[in-house]
Amino acid sequence: MQGSLRAWEPSILKGEDKWVRSVCEMCSSRCAIEVRVVDQKPVWLQGNAFDARIHSSICARGLSGVSQLYDQDRLRTPLMRVGRRGENRWREASWDEALSFVASSMQRLKQNYGAQSMLFSSKTGESFDLLSSFAANYGSPNTFSHWSSCPIAIESALEQTFGERAYRDFEHADYIVNFGHNLFEGLDIPLSKAMARFAANPSKKLIVLDPRFSIMAGKADEWYPIKAGQDLAFVLSLLHVWLRDAKYDHAFVRRYCIGLDALKASLKETTPQWQERYTGIDAKTIERLADEIYRAAPRCILDWGHKATTSPAEFQRTRAILIANVLMGNVEKKGGIYFAKTPEMLNALIQEPLFPLLQSPYPTPEVGIARIDGAGEERSAYRFVPKKHGVLNAIADAILTQQPYAIKGWFLTRHNPLVTVADPQKMRTAMASLDLIVVNDIYMSDTAMMADVVLPESTYLERDESIHLHHGLVPSYTMRNRALTPLHRTRSLHEIVRSLADALGFSHAYPWKTMQELRAYQAKGNSALLESLVKRGYVQATIPHLFLREEASARAFCERYAHVEPRHVLEMFERRRKTPSGKIELFCAHIEKAFEGYGVPCAVDMDVQQNYPYTLISGKSAIHTNGHTQNVPYLHALMSDNPLWMHPSTAKAHGLRQNDTCYIENEIGKEKVKVFLTEGIRPDTLFLYMGFGRQTPLLPKIDRKGSSASKLLPLKTAPVCGAMITNTGVRIVRA
Amino acid sequence: MAKAYRLIFDENLCIGCQACNVACRLENDVPEGVYRLQVHVTTQGVFPHLGMHFERRSCVMCDEPPCVSVCPTGASFQSKDGLVHIHESQCITCKYCILACPYHARFINPVKNVVEKCTFCFDSRLSKALDPACVSVCTTEALRFGDVSQENSTVAMLSRKETLLFPKAHLGTKPKVCFIPARKGVKV
Repeated sequence: MQGSLRAWEPSILKGEDKWVRSVCEMCSSRCAIEVRVVDQKPVWLQGNAFDARIHSSICARGLSGVSQLYDQDRLRTPLMRVGRRGENRWREASWDEALSFVASSMQRLKQNYGAQSMLFSSKTGESFDLLSSFAANYGSPNTFSHWSSCPIAIESALEQTFGERAYRDFEHADYIVNFGHNLFEGLDIPLSKAMARFAANPSKKLIVLDPRFSIMAGKADEWYPIKAGQDLAFVLSLLHVWLRDAKYDHAFVRRYCIGLDALKASLKETTPQWQERYTGIDAKTIERLADEIYRAAPRCILDWGHKATTSPAEFQRTRAILIANVLMGNVEKKGGIYFAKTPEMLNALIQEPLFPLLQSPYPTPEVGIARIDGAGEERSAYRFVPKKHGVLNAIADAILTQQPYAIKGWFLTRHNPLVTVADPQKMRTAMASLDLIVVNDIYMSDTAMMADVVLPESTYLERDESIHLHHGLVPSYTMRNRALTPLHRTRSLHEIVRSLADALGFSHAYPWKTMQELRAYQAKGNSALLESLVKRGYVQATIPHLFLREEASARAFCERYAHVEPRHVLEMFERRRKTPSGKIELFCAHIEKAFEGYGVPCAVDMDVQQNYPYTLISGKSAIHTNGHTQNVPYLHALMSDNPLWMHPSTAKAHGLRQNDTCYIENEIGKEKVKVFLTEGIRPDTLFLYMGFGRQTPLLPKIDRKGSSASKLLPLKTAPVCGAMITNTGVRIVRA
Repeated sequence: MAKAYRLIFDENLCIGCQACNVACRLENDVPEGVYRLQVHVTTQGVFPHLGMHFERRSCVMCDEPPCVSVCPTGASFQSKDGLVHIHESQCITCKYCILACPYHARFINPVKNVVEKCTFCFDSRLSKALDPACVSVCTTEALRFGDVSQENSTVAMLSRKETLLFPKAHLGTKPKVCFIPARKGVKV
């Protein structure tokens, strides 16, 4: 048939029609996706069924990846500032010019003020690992992830209690208590799907505590409109009842935990009656729930959430929730909570290298200079905050006071602190005083407006990335494979960092030049893994799910791997934990020493309203991702504004009606809002979806649309963990 | 043999995330400002006794479709599988069908200037034995689609197990789209 038209048909006559398997980046849940590409054009997106939990499911944002890709408003070429900082006057530049300007400016700052004068920030993930490595090789300790504005209280409480991260087995639980973890708006397909199945199952029970009638609350068996920021009081009284009645897993606590006496002493007064005035939930309900929950244990989860920024007591709140799980004895039980089954651990257990080990392609040497926020330094207020992640709320003051040393530059990768961090007014003033701001992003942002150089980044559909290892019951590997070459003159952060490392003289830090070399280095030459990941985007070995303290689970595992004995499985659990005591810590002696009253859960720092008549709270929607997706055409068409949720009785008291405009204000700021009347919120609480109220004249569709809750948030942080606090007191002022 | 298609929407599983809505737009190139499919979420009741309702709005593919009988040109027609379609070339945009549809499922495509509605993604997917786009992407698997005459199909099994409600059943339109009503929350 050689030479016939038929032989050419697939590629020329019909055009190319292929599927590329990759990883979504419309939010940070990183769901596995498939992209249908026709004639080099992505035309359709769906979940990647190689991840059986996902199947073909994908959310509205995930689907809108195509809409983002072709959005005419994307950044297409490097921009350099020509007017005053923030004035919004730009000229287009070549990549060579833009990058050599960045490199020479960074070199100059290093010579004049030291490398520590540069800050680097990005949300966690591959870009953060890469940027952290870049910062360290340049010589700056000042890297910031999004953690302190989102999950840091959880990460910190897990670390201090267990010495490692824990996960929740929603799939097999019978009873779940949810403290505003809104998995039906902050979507993560595998988790959201498991939670939806749970909530829809009439033989399971879901309790939701949230000041707002969220989608999650709408699916609950019982919803309690708890007063904002008062989860801690609820949990303390729950623990009080259990300890009062000796209802806890005595054997588990005796064998694996320390600090029960300190816990008991701390909870003497936290009775169900005591908590009424904080939470608004009556004492009888607490007694009933305490009994129900205890009877459901260990197939019961108190869900600590995803983002934990509700009150200054956030570390205490999250620790109290973790300890409630511990007292139920649900650790490493089916339907309870569990620790990651890492490749190292599973390979050791089954004595077979079933799970490939990866090496980091991003060397991050110790810098040896204290950070501007003191994170990880002895005696610092942030000594328990990981050095890598830092405290975003500390940046503005450090810049404005130039303490503890000169701070002159900031490199931000798809990070928009003027939308996502407290007190953006102050941050804007601080940024205005810097010598150098470099932003790479796919859109112009409020923060990019303040930059000297804006580097246009390729979207995730246009980028190849490295291998990502996901921890959980079974390790899985994903890899972002690009669906097309960049549509515009955009580059990936890898390309940007590689060029800058060359120019700054530390290209030797990176043994890779191209993404292919990087992947091969990371996989230690494991070409079978790489080949699977290029083809499938998602790789997971099928092994039985393993809960170390669940006999049936251990037995099933041992049947599959005959040389493993049940005692080997339990030994994995009984190893010394990575906490100072080697046990699960109900009481943390070293925390108590540094922060009196914080070693064990107790009622401290719970007030968020601060003498204002209302508490303003905020949260995610299923349509938009924080400060990122507002301009994406499909999503903008679905949600272009964020009116303020207000109870009708509150509106009436202020003479306000539906769609009226008014202001909310406190000592930090004053923000114009449009009123949305709903029965679905406490009368003393107001709610805004996040990410609106932007100041981006270059994106006229979203510029100054809606309102920003961040503009009313103080820079105060939660003790121990350094978390931003996103509930705050406000008053309503007529327009 | 003719198919007996059925689409089941489980309100208990739906979270109103609009993935189906966007999938429909992307798959069928639905212009901005009009919709073949939307999910409306409403809160009902008085604080703190509330319920949340999720209503899927689209063509329900009636077995007895009022939109077909009123069409003066035969543009609206029913296939042998009982699916209601529109011959775009024969549509004169007279809007009779839009008025006749009790489900407000039809609209004028402003780009093509013809009446349009859900087709169960017939041309691009169903005719190739693929599920409609909305069913395929649903984040919580709240949508099930199939041939209810096939005893072992998911929709047949669900139909045997659950109490199904057919929207505006009293009109005698016999929709192929039905729903499993919410079991939780205040009923108003």
